[in-house]
Amino acid sequence: MTSAVSAVAPPRRRTGVGRSAVLGGGGGSRLFTTLCAVVLLIFAAIWAIPLLWALDTSFRPESEINTHPTSWWTSHPTLSAYHYIFANSDLATWYLNSFITATVTMILTVVVCSMAGFALSRTRMAGRRALMTLLVAGILIPGQVLILPSFQEFNAFSLLNTYWAIILPAIATPVAVLIFAAFFSGIPADLVDAARVDGASWLRIYTTVFIPLSRPAVSAVAIFTFVWTWNGFLWPLLVLTSTKLMTIPVGLASVQSAYGIIYGQVMASAVMGAAPLVVVFLFFQRRIVEGMSTTGIK
Amino acid sequence: MTAERGWRSGFDRRDLLRGAGLAGLAGIGAAAVSGCGSPVATGVAGTGPPKDSLTYWNLFSGGDGVRMVAMEDAYTKSHRDVSLNSVTLSWGNPYYTKLALATLSSRPPDIGISHISRLPTLARAGLLSPIDESALGAHGMTADKFTAKAWETGHIDGKLYCVPLDTHVHCLYYRTDVCKKAGLLDSSGNLKPIKGPDEFIAALAAAKKVTKKYGGVVNITADPSTCYRWFITLYSQLGGQVLADEGRTIVLDDDKAIKVLTFMQELTIKQKLMPNTVDGSAVQQMFSTGQVGFLIDGDWQVSTYQTAKVPFSMTLVPNIFGGPYSVFADSHVFVLPKDPQRNHKRLGLTMDFIHTLETNAITWAMGGHIPAWLPVQHSKAYRELKPESNYASAAQAAVYDAPAWYSGAGSDYETVVGSAVASAETGQMTPRQAVATMRKGLQKYATTKPPVS
Amino acid sequence: MAVTTVTAAGATAGGRAVTTSDESRVPGENKAGWLLFTPFLVLYVVFLIGPAIYGVVMSFFHTTLIHTGLGSWAGGANYMEAFKSSDFWWSMWHTTYFTLMTTPPLVVVALIMAVLVERVRHFRWFFRLIFFAPYVVPSAAVGLIWGFLYAAQTGLFSTWVSQIGITPPNWLGDPSWALPSVALATIWWTVGFNFVLYLAGLQDIPRDLYEAAAVDGATPMQQVRSITIPLLGRTTLLVTILQILASLKIFDQVYLLTAGGPNFTSRPAIEYIYDIGFTDYRAGYAAAASMLFFVLILLVGAVFLVVSRRQQRGV
Repeated sequence: MTSAVSAVAPPRRRTGVGRSAVLGGGGGSRLFTTLCAVVLLIFAAIWAIPLLWALDTSFRPESEINTHPTSWWTSHPTLSAYHYIFANSDLATWYLNSFITATVTMILTVVVCSMAGFALSRTRMAGRRALMTLLVAGILIPGQVLILPSFQEFNAFSLLNTYWAIILPAIATPVAVLIFAAFFSGIPADLVDAARVDGASWLRIYTTVFIPLSRPAVSAVAIFTFVWTWNGFLWPLLVLTSTKLMTIPVGLASVQSAYGIIYGQVMASAVMGAAPLVVVFLFFQRRIVEGMSTTGIK
Repeated sequence: MTAERGWRSGFDRRDLLRGAGLAGLAGIGAAAVSGCGSPVATGVAGTGPPKDSLTYWNLFSGGDGVRMVAMEDAYTKSHRDVSLNSVTLSWGNPYYTKLALATLSSRPPDIGISHISRLPTLARAGLLSPIDESALGAHGMTADKFTAKAWETGHIDGKLYCVPLDTHVHCLYYRTDVCKKAGLLDSSGNLKPIKGPDEFIAALAAAKKVTKKYGGVVNITADPSTCYRWFITLYSQLGGQVLADEGRTIVLDDDKAIKVLTFMQELTIKQKLMPNTVDGSAVQQMFSTGQVGFLIDGDWQVSTYQTAKVPFSMTLVPNIFGGPYSVFADSHVFVLPKDPQRNHKRLGLTMDFIHTLETNAITWAMGGHIPAWLPVQHSKAYRELKPESNYASAAQAAVYDAPAWYSGAGSDYETVVGSAVASAETGQMTPRQAVATMRKGLQKYATTKPPVS
Repeated sequence: MAVTTVTAAGATAGGRAVTTSDESRVPGENKAGWLLFTPFLVLYVVFLIGPAIYGVVMSFFHTTLIHTGLGSWAGGANYMEAFKSSDFWWSMWHTTYFTLMTTPPLVVVALIMAVLVERVRHFRWFFRLIFFAPYVVPSAAVGLIWGFLYAAQTGLFSTWVSQIGITPPNWLGDPSWALPSVALATIWWTVGFNFVLYLAGLQDIPRDLYEAAAVDGATPMQQVRSITIPLLGRTTLLVTILQILASLKIFDQVYLLTAGGPNFTSRPAIEYIYDIGFTDYRAGYAAAASMLFFVLILLVGAVFLVVSRRQQRGV
């Protein structure tokens, strides 16, 4: 879950763009830059090894893994491990469960938290200060210390082993509200006044003026809600015990092969578990990095 | 720069297209895998599974897993109209936690595997359905067809809560080559009977002369369960008990426990007939390479040494202290988790499934476990299965964990007792200190208000 | 970009745009505000505030997981038991030890990575990808991959270590290696997040400072030492506290790689709560242990608040 937030002043011109040209001017700098590049490449190699190793192993036939467990080379690359895990596990179902819970949570979080952020920052509703205190108090409470009462609550609601057990507690994220509130408060007041003069309702101002202007905040909250929900572990482990309802992380961690540890298949499962979000990251790399920089969320 | 533009406008069109593409792909994938859409319906509305499917949870992997799959195949071949959904979950606490949570959420499997030592806690927690013995009888499973000890232990407060599959015991493994050289075998190549502490020590000493290393080995390091099993075997031969009154009272007999621990120290410290520090992989290596002549371990290790082509055989752990013969054991049993959706038809399917697996238990016996199903246990095929059938009589001498909310396979009870035993075996504590540690550790649990009643 | 930390002072975020007093409220504004806020408030109260209060209540009862209701009154018995339980304090220590092991490298390595990436002209996207990608990998996949890397005899790490002539340790099976091994996996997994926060912080440093320093003949190393690191002070503070709070919540990796073993020597506080509450069904006692763990987190938060106040005053 979320722990803290740093919010940001609304967009202003960044001074850093195009800075690289400035560097490399002084004496000895070129050598230093080369040195940096070398160190960086070493870091990159170290960081790439685990994922590449998993990928490599997943394509090797089991017999080769057993005879040469730490060889990178394979003469007979094969997809048989992938065929096996798709045919013999509920992997496809787990994907579906992860996709549905993460998507629904993402949409509801953006809608509910942006509305709350708007109410807090742009309407003079009564009790704002008290609500803000309540929000900050919530940030301090880690979800992990609430697992017992929450489990009892969902048990009482008969919502264990449903998607709702994952979705409902994830929607009201105080950090997301603060991000939206901070972003909205940077939007010029004249826009609101003009809309009010035109007779627009508050709901209309929220939907037609603020949301379209707040894409960076929306995308940051959306992407991170999706990633967090997709990767959630402890809570889903407790509430999703039916193997047909497990999300990818819970399924991978709970269900084993009856044949013992067959590393090719285990690595194929790991790759399949890692792949979707790595691909999403590939596509939305800049947006994610910027979203994080803008909102400093974790 | 693009960075600048992206920053100002948020999602640009390209991003949106990409996002839509990804979402579309995922959606197609989702539709393809969902097929009838039942998981989604289940996830949203919490409806149950289709009627003619059976869900079976177990914790078997490796050799046991392979044999279990073979037995399941026998079922699916004869029941083509039932779709069997067999799930292997991680062994130990994660399995029991998941079973409990699934049952609490009214979405348990139809059938689960449990250790009989965990049964009292699961039953008293209200997580299991009692089994109607007349319905069971209608499916051919009656009391006279099961190992009596396991069948009786399966009754809690007068109700049957499980159908036993096996009894698995601690055995004495011996290397036939070492024992032959040491003159410990009879004319037909079996180990001559060993009785009493002196004969046991003599046998180990004879083996040690051959191996030049140690006489025998029992795992110690980081394995409190094995330490506990070795201890409780000897302690029960003295007639000792540890817990009573559902674990609320400690009835540990200090004199008897000290006697056992002193004997263990005699082996590991005084005479150095067994190593006093050794871990799981070293135990396997020592027995496989003939650095020891004897090994005391669970019957399930049999396939390890068969695969490694070790010249060995197995028999009962000797009766060292002369009381009624007893040896540590546990049983794998089938249980029916409490399920409000289980109707008459599903119950019938469930019992039929259990019956099919029981009748195929000869496959199971190859993994070392003593089948609880007597038609198999008394069959010619099993009697000819060597060395597995050598120790079949242990099933009736089984010492199960005393019932308590903190006892059972891999439980805190076994850890507390076993850790103290390990300290004595390694020589870090005197037997008296180890018994005091045991008592102190157990006291904490005995005085805690039990979470089940 | 100015990274403004919103903690107790969070109210300023919302307060800025609306400075006029409540009397000047446009008709209907209060109602509209509450309407927009209500969905959040309902979910927030039902699923966060509610359980938090119920958790406090539970910690004073002998609540069990398997029966509905609170069970019998326990008074302070659960807290007394936790105070006296060595298992509980060991788990708190494992959590603390893990935090002490992971926080410094996760801050320092992230800083080095960010400073280096900032200096290269090409392929920045590539390095961002390599360093950040592990962060989006689910913990379960991380557990599978690192379990394989750490495998005894056949694992990649054991092979490498034996190739340089050292007997490899039993990474996950040796009590003194288990938690450090999990820490190493964690550094690989999560450093990318801090790296990106540092990248953001670096954008704030005015370029002309470097130019001026270069004119004065400062070497690149000196520039990093005297400009980059001091000016990243606020970011470092933020990264450090976020990292400490994240490390204190360690559960996934330990559960997946060692299951708290061998013999509970790597079990962290949250796994203790999980074991007691969900494996032993002792919900009331586990709730009390949760509260004590929460106090630890609050204490760390308070220390951070004091430090950041002092730093703000100092700057």
